[in-house]
Amino acid sequence: MAFLDGLLPAYYESIIITVGIYIILALGLNLITGVTGQLSLGHAAYMCIGAYTSAIVSMKLGLPFIVALLCAGIVAAIFGIFIGFPVLRLTGDYLAICTLGFGEILKSILFNMPYVGGAMGMAGIPPKTTLLNTIIIALIVIIVMVRMERSRFGRSLVAIREDEIAAECMGINAFRYKLQMFAIGTFTAGLGGALWAHKIMVLQPRDFGFMKSIEILNMVVLGGLGSIPGTILGATLLTAIPEILRFSSEYRMVIYGALLVIMMIFRPHGLMGNTDFNKLAKRTFRVFNTNNNKDKKSGMEG
Amino acid sequence: MLSNFFVQLMNGIALGSTYALIALGYTMVYGIILLINFAHGEIFMSGAFVGLILVTVFHVHIIIAFLGAMLFCMIMGVIIEKIAYKPLRRSTRLAALISAIGVSIFLSNLANLIFGANPTSYPPTKEILFPVKSFELFAGAQVTNLQILIIATSAILMIILQYFIKNTRIGKAMRATSQDYDTAALMGINVNKIISYTFAIGSSLAAAGGVLVGIYFGVVKYNMGTLVGLKAFTAAVLGGIGSIPGAMFGGIALGIGEMFAVAIGLSSYRDAIAFGILIIVLLVKPTGLFGTEIQKKV
Amino acid sequence: MPLLELNEVTIKFGGLIAVDSVDLTIEKGEIQALIGPNGAGKSTVFNLVTGIYPPTSGTISFKGQAINGKKPYNITRLGIARTFQNIRLFNELTVLDNVKIGRHCRSKAGAFGGIIQPPSVKREEKEIEQKALECLRLMDLDDKAEELAKNLPYGEQRRLEIARAMASEPEILLLDEPAAGMNPQEKTVLVEKIKKIREMGLTIFLVEHDMKFVMGISDRVAVLDYGKKIADGPPDAVQKNPEVIAAYLGKEVV
Repeated sequence: MAFLDGLLPAYYESIIITVGIYIILALGLNLITGVTGQLSLGHAAYMCIGAYTSAIVSMKLGLPFIVALLCAGIVAAIFGIFIGFPVLRLTGDYLAICTLGFGEILKSILFNMPYVGGAMGMAGIPPKTTLLNTIIIALIVIIVMVRMERSRFGRSLVAIREDEIAAECMGINAFRYKLQMFAIGTFTAGLGGALWAHKIMVLQPRDFGFMKSIEILNMVVLGGLGSIPGTILGATLLTAIPEILRFSSEYRMVIYGALLVIMMIFRPHGLMGNTDFNKLAKRTFRVFNTNNNKDKKSGMEG
Repeated sequence: MLSNFFVQLMNGIALGSTYALIALGYTMVYGIILLINFAHGEIFMSGAFVGLILVTVFHVHIIIAFLGAMLFCMIMGVIIEKIAYKPLRRSTRLAALISAIGVSIFLSNLANLIFGANPTSYPPTKEILFPVKSFELFAGAQVTNLQILIIATSAILMIILQYFIKNTRIGKAMRATSQDYDTAALMGINVNKIISYTFAIGSSLAAAGGVLVGIYFGVVKYNMGTLVGLKAFTAAVLGGIGSIPGAMFGGIALGIGEMFAVAIGLSSYRDAIAFGILIIVLLVKPTGLFGTEIQKKV
Repeated sequence: MPLLELNEVTIKFGGLIAVDSVDLTIEKGEIQALIGPNGAGKSTVFNLVTGIYPPTSGTISFKGQAINGKKPYNITRLGIARTFQNIRLFNELTVLDNVKIGRHCRSKAGAFGGIIQPPSVKREEKEIEQKALECLRLMDLDDKAEELAKNLPYGEQRRLEIARAMASEPEILLLDEPAAGMNPQEKTVLVEKIKKIREMGLTIFLVEHDMKFVMGISDRVAVLDYGKKIADGPPDAVQKNPEVIAAYLGKEVV
């Protein structure tokens, strides 16, 4: 199954892997912020936990990559539940600021942990992330997210976003659902972190700061909150744009900042906000159906 | 022991009063348009650099530079609001938030382009102000004239702000708008004007904080706004976001907490402590220390 | 045994006593109305019954079982459903999805069921959809199933709230100002629908301002004023009650 290896120039392969990792990360955050409406400004913290966990498992314990991946997701989800339990009772901006705070605290703790290299970071992580395994994991995450969105569980999450009190009056235990959702979202972040760790091979706490969380959030908002195709597009664009702007490396981040403002002003609902493919398809299909029925009727009359 | 306590207390109050100056901008903007203005930290950074340029390039007196920085950032804040936030006022709050983050990234990287990635030194205090001296208040309890200057300047600015908010027409209109945006508009308050005033005042206070931090710590850097901005926002939430006395109290409490954490040997966890305090406070009293509880209406 | 019983229920917000030791019994199959001037505490009574606020004191029992202090999602499961005074639909969801969520407490697929989708979950989803469509038909909204809830006209939004509540198969339906803002035709349709729901064996408890509407449809009417119950009985008796008249029109100066 190594047919994908060496098919593309290393530079493009590396970019596609990065896009895949960001799609995984952004879809996790889309579940939390886009679908359920719980603003998290600390998604990079769970990515960080996943990255360090997987690095420890594969490097220090010498276990296979698949084990490292699973451990990364599970440990990130455990932290997600642990943090979510008190924090998900808060609403709106208070939730946002607490998730942000947790991210910064985690960074401080890692800075002071000699076991993982402190501020120097952790080097020598085996390069286990390939184009193939990134694509497979990204596809699994996409399928899981799409299926979940269309299920009773996903519907309930949207109901919580739209009106938490009404949702509770319909029999939804909002807190329990938010906690479950947060565990799934942070599990995904952990997976993304593990792939990231085994791609760049060096981990430093400062890579997982507030700006990383913001970078992921930008992808979700730019694509269109709550939209899975939008999130994928957002992750792809925002990974590609800095690469495209590499020719002007000095101005790169200045342009990136300005572009964010401009895109928000012209597309405040994101690129794919308000376009629901599922319903679009259903509607087209229904129009088609009724036309058919009309034809049949007129046929019978004639 | 006691003297050390006092020294740390003064350090904390001096640091905290700069946090408070910045926190005021966050809390005022949030109070009116419910936006976490992520670009506010960068306005603080810009203020520090404008003050620096005025002193070193234009050779003006530090007091003029201080006022100049405030004026420059006042205009900058108003322009940023008009360009980046006003078109999004009726959109989702997240769109405005991302726009604010865009402005923040833009400004800090622009500063990186102009001033480089290395820290830039402020001219020594003794050249632009006075030689720094320590005073002994009582048995070993020391305070520097610079600390007194910083605390006094912050205090004066906050008293002026408090007077402005409580007693002037515009101040009253600001309070009305923060209570209920739509009703204020219906009562004939020009909400656009009030929002501009809010950004003008908040930004000039942040610039003042920037120059004071520059003088106090002696260096400025393009990314100094991010962490200080986050901490100042934390201070605003700690005090109860939307509450002006809350922001003042939150800033000073955070400064003191941070300095004491350093004093007891937790200096490597310095940044974590601010957020730790915040999370604990929010879990106990989700509206912050001075915030008022809003009864959910069903 | 009454279906729903409030026994000396009181709630205080700070210093304000919003509901002051109110007793109320609702028998199975009745249409019970709750009226009163603005701010009398009518909606608060609904919020107490559905568990949004726990009462400061007193007991609320449903079919003989105390429900005060229970969470809203548990109360719904027992068979109490409601609508809201200021319409609370899930705006960005379709009409059908809104009603499907009403079915939440009568279905059980979790997150993993949704991901794996075994036959049992697919069956359940089909059942949810059928039941939801049934409720939409009951309220004449089945042709709007794919519209977004926020795009419905006002009167239909109110009807959608009822359809959503009906999807949870309640024994008692709490309607908070169901006719508010409706035109006369819409009201006529609504009365018809409420009567039909009663014929299905449901008990109805409603808060309403429109006197003609209330007097025409209710079996019993209770009146709240400043959080206290001042009258309770058949509509014509309540209408003649001097205390009720005073509460609405003010007392004569003697």
